[in-house]
Amino acid sequence: MTWFSRLFAGQSAPGVALTTRQQQCIAAWQQLPAPDLRRSHYRCRYVVVDVETSGINVRTDRLYTIGAVGLVDGQIDFRDTLQLILASAAPTSEAATAAGDAVPAPVAGPQAVEALIAFLQFVGKAPLVAYNVPFVAAMVERVLAEGLGIEFALPWIDLEWVMPDLFRDIDSTQGRLDAWLTHFEIDSIHRHNAVSDAYATAQLLQVTIARGARKGFETPASLLELEKARRHLHQSS
Amino acid sequence: MNNSATEMLVAACIEFLQAYPPFDRMEAEALRFLAEHVRLAHYPKGAQILSSEMGVAPVLYILQRGKVRVRASGGAGNVEFSAITLGPGQAFAIGALMAQRPTSSAYVAREDVFCYELPADDFFALTQQSTVFSLFCSQYIAGLLKQSQQQLQLQFAQRAAEQKTMNSPLAVIVKREPVSVPAEASIRQVVELMADRHLGSMVIVDAGEQPVGIFTLSDVLKRIVLPGRSLDQPISSVMSTSPQTLPLAANAHDAALAMAMHGIRHVLAVDEGGRLKGVVSERDLFKLQGAGLRQIRHAIDAATSLDVLQHAREDVRQLSLTMLTEGGGAQEITQFISTLNDTVTRRIIELNLDRHDLYGIDWAWLSFGSEGRDEQTFTTDQDNGIVFICTDIMDRELTQLRFLEFARDVNADLDTCGFPLCKGNIMASNPALCLTLEEWEERFAHWVRTPEPQALLNATIFFDFRPLYGRFNLAHRMRLSLLRQTRGNPLFLRMLAQNALSVSPPLGRIRDFVTGADPEHPGTIDLKKYGVRLFTDAARVFALAHQIEATNTVSRLKRASALMNFSSDDLAASLEGFNFIQLLRLRHQHFEQEHGRPGDNLIRPDELNEIERRILKEAFRQARKLQARLKLDYQL
Repeated sequence: MTWFSRLFAGQSAPGVALTTRQQQCIAAWQQLPAPDLRRSHYRCRYVVVDVETSGINVRTDRLYTIGAVGLVDGQIDFRDTLQLILASAAPTSEAATAAGDAVPAPVAGPQAVEALIAFLQFVGKAPLVAYNVPFVAAMVERVLAEGLGIEFALPWIDLEWVMPDLFRDIDSTQGRLDAWLTHFEIDSIHRHNAVSDAYATAQLLQVTIARGARKGFETPASLLELEKARRHLHQSS
Repeated sequence: MNNSATEMLVAACIEFLQAYPPFDRMEAEALRFLAEHVRLAHYPKGAQILSSEMGVAPVLYILQRGKVRVRASGGAGNVEFSAITLGPGQAFAIGALMAQRPTSSAYVAREDVFCYELPADDFFALTQQSTVFSLFCSQYIAGLLKQSQQQLQLQFAQRAAEQKTMNSPLAVIVKREPVSVPAEASIRQVVELMADRHLGSMVIVDAGEQPVGIFTLSDVLKRIVLPGRSLDQPISSVMSTSPQTLPLAANAHDAALAMAMHGIRHVLAVDEGGRLKGVVSERDLFKLQGAGLRQIRHAIDAATSLDVLQHAREDVRQLSLTMLTEGGGAQEITQFISTLNDTVTRRIIELNLDRHDLYGIDWAWLSFGSEGRDEQTFTTDQDNGIVFICTDIMDRELTQLRFLEFARDVNADLDTCGFPLCKGNIMASNPALCLTLEEWEERFAHWVRTPEPQALLNATIFFDFRPLYGRFNLAHRMRLSLLRQTRGNPLFLRMLAQNALSVSPPLGRIRDFVTGADPEHPGTIDLKKYGVRLFTDAARVFALAHQIEATNTVSRLKRASALMNFSSDDLAASLEGFNFIQLLRLRHQHFEQEHGRPGDNLIRPDELNEIERRILKEAFRQARKLQARLKLDYQL
């Protein structure tokens, strides 16, 4: 439970000593202005995140890989993507090998710090999007707190909550990512690979913002409010 | 930074693209470049992806998923094009992108659509990088060119379709719902109905709507008024029984035949069940009878009066329109117009020869300018002259006077038949253009020896002479002597080339076209002065320099290309350019005349559609190429 206490301690010491440069990078990231969430979907940058883990327990399971895909002005640019391998995991290697890609060696220790800083720099302060935020966000925030000793504290939008509200015409009772992907005929390159899933989720986000814009939810802030209202409704009922 | 995520997504994109042409054939490097530089965009159902209002096409779209409906928006005509649907793997707006123009079509998502989008700069970089892709794009443009021509023809075809022919089925000819009455109706009822509806005939049908008789206006007199028949009697007592019927699918010819065989004026069109569907009258058929080429020629050759020739000239116009419709190229059409105009002119000459005795003299009627080049369009005035042989025993002045009198009559008759008198007095009735062979030769030689501006101008008109009537060998002798002169005179050719270069193609550096040449008609390009002329002038220099006897621009360029080592591609390109400008002129003139204006050559590039503008631009570039050749040959 060390990560938990560190998370609330804020700037407490990370597991690895940080170099001055790394500290500067983190400070620079912290200095970044908060994003304007009231700009149109088509005038801002979202970062869609997905993770590969050893299991579904956010406290005990390990985070292997983070996949992140930027959505800038409503478009996906393949160069605006990131894959962060934090630990070796059999499923990742298999999937990656099947794709014929070079498998980057998992990073650990000091390299993990560099990788996490790269992730911070990649994300900036963009609003984050994921499918099943409670799990993804917890995993990502935990590793950042452990590795860099920071509190991530960026807004997360959960498509699992937003989409059923915007697509009431679609039966989404299963509430699974796969169901949405099937419905919108979005192919996965390698299902359960973090990058592939983040890419597929980013396409879901494209569909979502288009529908949102038509229904008057034209900004990241409006999606956040929609999600909040829906969660509130469910919790009170 | 070595980015494994990018790597994975690019690889997936490449894999997708490789399933579709032209990407399946594309070089690996180029394909990779493409996949690295696209962005994936999404459009919900019903969203407008690209349209002409959005300005210059910003990106190349490659459909990744979903369907897109394409509809032509704007364009020159009001023709509705059938909508096309694009699916995954298909790219669009290549034409607009290459031309850096707004698209002429509207692209709308028919369902949720995902599109790879390649920014314009990367698109151009890709065409540089990949020959496969570059070829694909140029073939695409060539396809557009063909489409444009088809559209052009479609526009005319619609008009032609309205002009029905004798081959049209009766279903097309029958215009209004037939009016019929049962056999029990009284004569009074029938006559009142006919008067009320202005009908020339009435069909009587049985309970099954099958015609049993017909009653026409002419029957009223013979069968009712004269016999003093009571109007209360049933119509069946006075109708003609068993009327002639034809199925709806029969054509106008069949109807005409039936009328001729039975000596009747009406034929009833019936459907498969024998039910009345319409009435075809003799008058309907008269209106259909358009003139065919053979009839026109026959009419012209047999004409004994100007009236007939006037009509024939109108028929020529109609028929050339039909040719335009049926996809005839500019070359064929202009030649066709020239040929038929020749026929009219010859007939007028023959008719006048009856009144003017020129027996025993060798002479020929010459045509100059566009007529001399076989390149007449719908508007053309007279450019003609006479060459004759004056033997020792003849008085030159007297002989010329006889020819001038004759020429005056011919010129006037031509004017009557729709060839307006030449404003510049380039007509055979002008004493300066009614000369003996020696005088013509001397005149030509003089122009060639002293190429002053007026002489050069004359060269552009008179050196394109062609015999039209009389002793053709006189014209041939003129041609040989002219070519002898020009061959030995490089200075003249150089001056003529310089003269040809005095007008440049109206291509702009910033805007596509320069339209300010004529202050009285801003926004227009004179396709004769700044279009056709560029080609004809260059072709003339080539011809005179290389002893080519032809006067027709296309023939001249074809022969010159063999002698001057043009590549066959270059030749084809310049001929296409020339013909396209001619086609635009023909279309424009026809349009102007339809609206009661004298057909000029001033077109507004803004009113052309995107494809036409592109082709016109290319046509002008071809003219520039010809001019470049002149500059090179004569070091200008």
